[in-house]
Amino acid sequence: MPTIVLMDVSLSMTRPVSVDGSEEFQRKNLAVHGLNMLFEHMSSNYRLEFTALMAFSSLWELLVPFTRDYNALQEALSTLEDYDKTCVESALNGVNNVVQQEWGSSCPCQVVLVTDGSLGIGKGSLRHSLQTLKQRGDEKKFPLPFPFPTKLFIMCVANAEELQMTDAMDNLEELLRLSGGDGQIFTVEGPLSMKSVQAMFGRLIDHAYSTFHAVLHCGNLSSDVQVFPRPEPIVVDEEVEPMPRTVSADLEIVGFIEIADISSPPVISRHLVLPTAVNKDVDEVGTGATDELEEEPSASQMAGKSPNFCVLLHGSLKVEGMVALVQLGQEWYGMLYSQADSKKKSNLMMSVFDPGPEPLPWLGKITHLGPISEAAENPYGEDDSKSPFPVQPQVKRSYAQNVTVWIKASGLQTDVQKILRNAKKLPDKTQTFYKELNRLRKAALAFGFWELLKGVADLLERECTLLPDSAHPDAAFQLSHAAQQLKLASTGDPQYAAFDHNIVPMHTDFSS
Amino acid sequence: MPQWISQHCAMEKMKMFSVAHKTVFVVDHCPYMAESSRQQVECDVLTKSRAQGVIPLAPVSKSLWTCAVECSMEYCRILYDIYPKDKLINYIVSDSEFHILNSWRREDQSTHELMSALAAVGPPNPREDPECCSILHGLVAAVESLCKITELQHEKRTALMDTAERVANRGRIICLTNAKSDTHVRMLEDCIQETILEQNKLAAGSDRLMAIQQCDLVLVHIYPQGEDTLVSDRPKKEISPLLTSEVHSVRAGRHLATKLNILVQQHFDLTSTTITNIPMKEEQHANTSANYDVELLHHRDAHLEFFKSGDLHMAGTSTRENGLKETVTLKWCTPRTNSIELHYCTGAYRISPTDVNSRPSSCLTNFLLNGRSVLLEQPRKSGSKVISHMLSSHGGEIFLHVLNSNRSTLEDPPSISEGCGGRVTDYRITDFGEFMRENRLTPVSESAHDPSGKLPVERAKAQLERHTRYWPMIISQTTIFNMQAVVPLANLIVKEALTEEDVLTCQKTVYNLVDMERKNDPLPISTVGSRGKGPKRDEQYRIMWNELETLVKTHAGATDRHQRVLDCIIACRSKPPEEEERKKRGRKREDREDRTEKNGNKETDDKSWQDSERLKGLLDKEDQESEVIKDSPDSPEPLNKKPRLTTEEVQPLEKAKGPVSLLSMWTNRITTANSRKHQEFVGRASSVNNKFELYQHLKEENGMDVHENGKTTR
Repeated sequence: MPTIVLMDVSLSMTRPVSVDGSEEFQRKNLAVHGLNMLFEHMSSNYRLEFTALMAFSSLWELLVPFTRDYNALQEALSTLEDYDKTCVESALNGVNNVVQQEWGSSCPCQVVLVTDGSLGIGKGSLRHSLQTLKQRGDEKKFPLPFPFPTKLFIMCVANAEELQMTDAMDNLEELLRLSGGDGQIFTVEGPLSMKSVQAMFGRLIDHAYSTFHAVLHCGNLSSDVQVFPRPEPIVVDEEVEPMPRTVSADLEIVGFIEIADISSPPVISRHLVLPTAVNKDVDEVGTGATDELEEEPSASQMAGKSPNFCVLLHGSLKVEGMVALVQLGQEWYGMLYSQADSKKKSNLMMSVFDPGPEPLPWLGKITHLGPISEAAENPYGEDDSKSPFPVQPQVKRSYAQNVTVWIKASGLQTDVQKILRNAKKLPDKTQTFYKELNRLRKAALAFGFWELLKGVADLLERECTLLPDSAHPDAAFQLSHAAQQLKLASTGDPQYAAFDHNIVPMHTDFSS
Repeated sequence: MPQWISQHCAMEKMKMFSVAHKTVFVVDHCPYMAESSRQQVECDVLTKSRAQGVIPLAPVSKSLWTCAVECSMEYCRILYDIYPKDKLINYIVSDSEFHILNSWRREDQSTHELMSALAAVGPPNPREDPECCSILHGLVAAVESLCKITELQHEKRTALMDTAERVANRGRIICLTNAKSDTHVRMLEDCIQETILEQNKLAAGSDRLMAIQQCDLVLVHIYPQGEDTLVSDRPKKEISPLLTSEVHSVRAGRHLATKLNILVQQHFDLTSTTITNIPMKEEQHANTSANYDVELLHHRDAHLEFFKSGDLHMAGTSTRENGLKETVTLKWCTPRTNSIELHYCTGAYRISPTDVNSRPSSCLTNFLLNGRSVLLEQPRKSGSKVISHMLSSHGGEIFLHVLNSNRSTLEDPPSISEGCGGRVTDYRITDFGEFMRENRLTPVSESAHDPSGKLPVERAKAQLERHTRYWPMIISQTTIFNMQAVVPLANLIVKEALTEEDVLTCQKTVYNLVDMERKNDPLPISTVGSRGKGPKRDEQYRIMWNELETLVKTHAGATDRHQRVLDCIIACRSKPPEEEERKKRGRKREDREDRTEKNGNKETDDKSWQDSERLKGLLDKEDQESEVIKDSPDSPEPLNKKPRLTTEEVQPLEKAKGPVSLLSMWTNRITTANSRKHQEFVGRASSVNNKFELYQHLKEENGMDVHENGKTTR
């Protein structure tokens, strides 16, 4: 989930913070300090995250486009300049453009808005934007909610009391609500200082940038892994199941399936599964810089040399062209597979299915997938020539069962012509003739279209009179028999008009 | 258009028990519905060659009833194609009384069921007394039916227990009738409102009934072509907090069909896609092909990206001639995809062709049902092409897959070879591949009940657990899994239960190994990390037996038969300890002569090992069930390994014996690799110091024991 940091560089950010005894800071310095801490955390624990930095006042500027180069981001922070007034709306428009251009409109994105809570004055101020929300045309729509799923984190370099003295807090809350509500407002606890701002960013890191560690199990084989990006909780149905579901820290493989059988399934998210060294302390998040950096090379070299289940699994999945079905929680599954990028690098990936007992109709219920050893004979065949998948639905779809639809005149005409065409080729086409005739009869009865039955009966009788002298004598018998049966059905007499009844060919001396 | 886009942005995910869960069709079966729609169909389309002298048949025309029935069936067809489960229809016909043609039960939900019931009802009887007939009978029955609990509602209520009130009861009534006037319509609405209130009171005191929380009435007034309507259209309005109502006044025939098609899209969040440029062979000219378009309906989330990005209009939406319908155009893409490719797909939605039995439609659907997939291209503003969707069938159902066409946030990840375990090169990739094949899954019918009471998926996990009790991950960590001779036993021992025959096979395997040892056959033992040629032959066998014992011990507790296999191994490998000890000492003495630097350690190591091994044997007999050993006793202790818990479990290590030259490492690797590929020459296998006496059989015939001879001459 990419992050875009939106940094307020208006004049109010240069307000000094009175810290007793030590040198004087601006709010901007505090904010930069906090962001530096965030970037440091990400560079050591979350380094695959793409982050962009945008500065805004009445205008906005993309200082660093989406990157994993955290040095570049920190460098840009150190060269921030001061501008005029705060204008959140135009900045959000900027975010909207930048994100959509880079990631499209379906990729979830985190927006970290860093401000001092003084949200501008007059036209362009947040207060003004929110007040005029309903009086806008489509051209000047307020940018929230963004088209892409958004988590909006508002970092206020101010404490809650200060914000509540004006309507700033109300406005920010309204902003959060408009964004879709999936986010949080963070304020400084206690007086402003390096420490309190650091603590606030620490809370953000814990909330949104903590790493997801799990253990991947396959029977007794296992590996400690980091799942990146961390899987987010899912709300299945707001009404029936309002509690969000979370991915368990134990990922349990339940079995294996061929790629052709799983067949490009729809997934709600994709994640890298990165093996982590067994006894390396789980990163304590929120503390920012780690002092184990120096030991890193030797530790990682050692880790590289001891066998890891993920590497084995990845290698075999790749060679065999299979995926591992993995359980993520109760009635929640995903798949593990090898994913190669263009540069011949490959990786173990996990895709998450929709929560529920039957995420893929063509696999059936996951709980009803069992080991092949239980089957009387191998469902894949001795030479892997067969497959028990896909699971067939009980009822065929309309396009797979030759349904009759006469909404358009052409549909009806085609069906009548089919019967006439076969009528001309009697007795060779007796079976098809009756098959088509019965199909028409069934539909006409269901639709209460008795007039059609009479019409087709008349047509068949006419065909009978038009038979050439060379025609087979059986043809005439069958035509008049069929015509008579249709006429009887068109009376609605239950004896002849039963839906499940079929007109059978007349038995003649010629037909045997 | 902007209006439409904003609607989509605000769109919520459909709730399980939204109004769409229950739909009641109430179709008027009163005498006036037998009237002709006055839309005529020419069904006698004569071919030119026979036109002479034949009077064509008079065109037929459908009754209002036929029009209503076939359009409602089309609505149902589309619904069942796209939502085969849990979007339910209850079909009611009304004349002098009501006729309920099906129930909410899942097995009653199919067009075939409904067609059969409709045939039994037949067309309205024009001679019936119009005074006795009314649509009201049906509408009252519809409200009663909405109160009836569905299987899904019942299942969810049972599952939620104390939060059962979260299961809502909403529904929609679609009434196809010929109303007299606007006042008549108002009377019908009032009557439904009253019935809801009455029924809700009844439902409060019943377990099988649920009070209606929301009911949407969609009243469609049908009148013959060429007549003026007596009822005016009215958009949705709230009659009461429980009831909303909308009125559509439509001419029978084509217009009614279009209206119901629009309604089914609105009611179930569907949208239309037209696949263009589908190449199809011409019937008349088999070697030419023309391009066709086919329109499909599906859930509108398949175009979420278009709708959101505002790119929709340019993305090929076209307004149809009737101005009522929008469709997104996607272009057929000729390079087809294969099934081995795993596409990154963000959604898959069932489709239903708008014109199901037209030739282009059935050509496309048959093509897909035969197992082929087609990629679809989305035309963009810039003129560039993006492959955005894929049509593919799974088990006789066609799905529109949405492919991700945006930049990936996971691009350029570190390769797995750069991470933990990435530098290890001798993983048992092929063996694990075999393991995965054995642990593939298969659907088990829900009726097949297992005596253990475990779900199939739990049994699959249990199998994985059994198969991995002892599973070394790298080649150099194992001996037995590199030996063809062990395969029969290794495959059988992991089974949950063994037959007598299985036990026999296992025992045979063990005897075979004993035989190999007697013949002094070489073992594919890893020599990585050890100096020189690696352990001596009898040491190799000791390692192999230890490993085999470890494997079998992890299963010995399962059944008596498993235990018998273990017993067999212990019996076969055991030599009187004293004798073995003596032999070892003897060998050690010899060793001392050529390898002076480490023998002191080795001996004590071996001795202490033997003691612990004997102790362990005793302990094991008492407590075999709890014993699960994950690593080979002879494998080098992996780095970063957690400390073992008990001293009994501590196994002696083949210590890394100092630095090894690259050449010897390489030679050893090649030798082990090669030894697995072919059967070793008998001569080389049983050679002593790379020497082998030829024509031994000549001596044997003279009654000499060659092997003993070979050993003693060492």
